[in-house]
Amino acid sequence: MTSSASYLLPLLQLSDSALPTGAFSHSFGLESYLERALVHDEATFGVWVGQFLHQQLTYSDGMAVRLAATAGDRRQVRDLDLRMAAQALPRQIRAAGATMGARMLQIAGLVVPCQSLEEYRQDVSDGECLGHPAIAFGLAGRQLGVPLPEMLGTYLFSTVTSLTQNAIRAIPIGQNAGQRVLRASHPEIASAVERIIRLDPEDLGITAPALEIAQMRHEYQRARMFMS
Amino acid sequence: MGIGLRAGRSMATRQYHQGALRVIRPHYLDDSGQVTYVIVNPGGGYLGGDRYVIDIDVDEGASLLLTTQSATKVYRTPNGHAQQDTNIRLGAGAVLEYLPDQLIAYRESTYRQRNTVHMHSDATLVMAEVVTPGWSPDGARFRFDEIRLRTDVYIDGRLEVLDHVLIRPGATEVEDMTFLGAETHVASLLVVDRRVNQELVRRLHGLLKPLDPRGLMGISLLKCPGFALRAQGGSTEELNRIISTVVGALRQGWNGQGPIDLRKGEPGAHRRPAEDKGGKGP
Repeated sequence: MTSSASYLLPLLQLSDSALPTGAFSHSFGLESYLERALVHDEATFGVWVGQFLHQQLTYSDGMAVRLAATAGDRRQVRDLDLRMAAQALPRQIRAAGATMGARMLQIAGLVVPCQSLEEYRQDVSDGECLGHPAIAFGLAGRQLGVPLPEMLGTYLFSTVTSLTQNAIRAIPIGQNAGQRVLRASHPEIASAVERIIRLDPEDLGITAPALEIAQMRHEYQRARMFMS
Repeated sequence: MGIGLRAGRSMATRQYHQGALRVIRPHYLDDSGQVTYVIVNPGGGYLGGDRYVIDIDVDEGASLLLTTQSATKVYRTPNGHAQQDTNIRLGAGAVLEYLPDQLIAYRESTYRQRNTVHMHSDATLVMAEVVTPGWSPDGARFRFDEIRLRTDVYIDGRLEVLDHVLIRPGATEVEDMTFLGAETHVASLLVVDRRVNQELVRRLHGLLKPLDPRGLMGISLLKCPGFALRAQGGSTEELNRIISTVVGALRQGWNGQGPIDLRKGEPGAHRRPAEDKGGKGP
């Protein structure tokens, strides 16, 4: 009898877009693009989410998953957390990382209890670390023995899925339109995974200026649906 | 160079240079005791394979305004990239305002800049940067190969700010709506000071609104006391206006100093040469 990899179900659980990390309340700057009508339908959202994936999501979360999954010890995880907090210049993006990181840590600790997650949780509760979902996910993925490309692809797709669900509500676009955007993201995610594996660790935190400005401007936007 | 405080005035207590970069005679723009130095590059610009290292120490209580005489130009770099590393140390109560002119990268150039700041939690850092779409003989924009600008700020030894901009026109679509969109210039201003709080950031945001009718500027509180400002635009001048408005407001609010008026290239009315008691003149 054939059986699936032992990590499959825990990985599906951690990457479920219904995972209660609060991703549904963060647009990561998308809402500023909606306000300026630069994103207003399926096509423009598809373009935006592709750019988001290849820029900020690659250089921050994607690199953080990889570096957490390959971190040698607790000190390296702390250093990674510090760099992730320092590179997030917009206040709401740091807050999103901290809130979602705390939730992801709690859930990952239930799904895959292990020492590295427990140490990270401790460092966050002591204020030594800020917390970030990508780091918690990378630590859990390593514990489960998930190969890095699958770990990265799963994390990126889960993030793109959450953003798409937010776009379905906020633009709004139809459910089928959302599924078309997700299907179209598959090759984009595959190429992002390949790049993340090859990037220099020093490239962590490279910014996309207009996106970052949109994320900063969101603080002053009126009538917000999202917290970032 | 090292800047120290002597009888209420800041001055160079040690100074050394080798190679292409020079600083011109220090001057004092006002009666605050802050010393101003201007970096000049007599060669006109950076070439491939060039590596520049600038070390700046501002000692306890001293204050330095550092600027450049003209835009930083990076010429074609067929023999390897040009690099500038700036290492800054700020003691307790030290002030550094580092406001260089814009960066102009020529066709087929690669430039890497790394600023590393180690500061005391009671020091003040104000650092700006304007990046232009560069220069090419046919007037086309973004013909350089790569610009990489990285700034790391450590407060009392702990990393607080990591700002990393990479513009690689061949690989990234600069006109992406998440990158530069329809704009051509990008400015950054980093201010780290224990007096910065959300209220100040909100006030500055209001102050800048009239200068940003198209909504191309963001300002946000950092993880440490301080803020980052990022702005896009179509010219160096409009971005410099935003930077000088903020810097002027901070100088006025924190030190009662007036706005910066360097009157580059000609002796200004209140540009008073120093007596040069410190290190040897360049």
